Amino acid sequence: MLAEAKELWGFRELLLSMVERELKIRYKNSVLGFLWSFIIPLVTTAVLTFVFGNFGNIGVESFSAYILAAYLPYLFFQQSVLDSAQSVLIQLPLVKKIYFPRELLPLASIIANFIHLLSGFAVFFAYLLVIWVQHPGTSPFQPTTWMIFPLLLMTVMLSTGLGLLVSALNTFYEDVKYLTSVIMYLLFFVSPITYLAEMVAYSGVNQRSGGKLFQLYNANPVAALSTAYRQYLLAPPSVKINGVAQPAVPLDPIYLWWTFFVSVVALLGGYAVFNRMKWKFVERP
Amino acid sequence: MIKDAAPAIEVRSLRKRFRVQNAAIGSLKTALLWWKKRSVREFEALKGVSFDAHPGECLAIVGRNGAGKSTLLALLAKVYRPTDGSFRVRGRLAPLLELGAGFHPDLTGVENIYFNAVVLGLTRAQVRLRLDEIIAFSELGEAIHAPVRTYSSGMTARLGFAIAVHADADVLLVDEVLSVGDFDFEQKCLRKVSEFRDQGGCILLVSHHLDTVRDFADRCLWLRAGEIVAEGTPDEILAEYLKAN
Repeated sequence: MLAEAKELWGFRELLLSMVERELKIRYKNSVLGFLWSFIIPLVTTAVLTFVFGNFGNIGVESFSAYILAAYLPYLFFQQSVLDSAQSVLIQLPLVKKIYFPRELLPLASIIANFIHLLSGFAVFFAYLLVIWVQHPGTSPFQPTTWMIFPLLLMTVMLSTGLGLLVSALNTFYEDVKYLTSVIMYLLFFVSPITYLAEMVAYSGVNQRSGGKLFQLYNANPVAALSTAYRQYLLAPPSVKINGVAQPAVPLDPIYLWWTFFVSVVALLGGYAVFNRMKWKFVERP
Repeated sequence: MIKDAAPAIEVRSLRKRFRVQNAAIGSLKTALLWWKKRSVREFEALKGVSFDAHPGECLAIVGRNGAGKSTLLALLAKVYRPTDGSFRVRGRLAPLLELGAGFHPDLTGVENIYFNAVVLGLTRAQVRLRLDEIIAFSELGEAIHAPVRTYSSGMTARLGFAIAVHADADVLLVDEVLSVGDFDFEQKCLRKVSEFRDQGGCILLVSHHLDTVRDFADRCLWLRAGEIVAEGTPDEILAEYLKAN
């Protein structure tokens, strides 16, 4: 695997070209082009602010910021894994003609999506600045904002590992893509993205299970990451559960280490599976 | 011809076996349902082939459909992994297999030049230096800034050829693609490939156009059912080949 990773470095020009091409193709026939990559998170922010500010008020100040902090990385995770799933299959005519490390194809999809994630976070921090101007008491940056770097690293490792796995499998069995969409959909709801982890922690089911349910809930790396992004980028929310104010429930660091472990295993495992299968892509029945 | 130089391509008892499945597995369902009933047939496309090709030489490979010619080129292009045996290529190899395979219809000619030339092993800085030359060779003029989906098949082939011959490779794999576009362009392609050979490039040519082989190749291999039947000058081999068919 080390030899393969070394070879990748020799193909960095091609990887860059693939990323460039992917970014160009996505907005090729649109007038606004790359601006869309800012417009989508902007519109999301506006809609969330309106909806949660007026209808779903659960007593959390600027709740849309809490949603965005978890939603942006999730969107990257989902999109990069689903794009990877298709990447080899779409380029099969090229793959059948010439050699290049096949992992470049899913990697290019992931990097292109990562660039979109970065523009999403640019909008996110701009939004925090706007809130700060409106409410000078708050602060757009926390002392723990630097944690975004290890969090992004974990998110990218997890997405890359799953992306490599799914793209290799999907080249042979196209069901994998649909199965992945279903799993992504489930993950979206079993992770605190449109709600707060506190709602799970203070829920009746969890109290009855003696907190076991919440432990299981956080063992899901996507859930742990979602909570972590919120916790390190934003001030702790003041949560009202059934009208009663409750203290925020910080994420036990053990779950972050667990997530780190899972991401490393996913990356190594995904790459190993990909490398085992990649020579068979062209011989696909 | 530079005979004393080390061979550009060394192929030693190269073998390729394919596993052919009767039912194509396209989904998990069929894979699971037909797991027990699936019948895997082994098919040997190349049965231990050995030869050398030298710099400044054009080696033609003739043979009927299914003789293993394209498998051989694909193995040299590292698209397949050999089942057994080995090969060595000195310098950079560029396949001209089926031109324009990597073109994206929504991107312009120029954008596709960049991508395809990088796939063939150039850096983007090198492409920038050769860009005008490639565009001039393709004779596409202003159309080079239009999306490739608006091109005719002749235009696509011309662009593909222009990129491949400007990729600065040491070894060219040519699979039945010299007959692209009109007569004039074909002549231009042949001239360009000759030039490439005169400068010490090595060409591996697969063609059913026996006239092209006769005019162009220095040496000829006859491949039948995955084995080399004969090797010699194009005149000798083609005479035998035509007699056998």
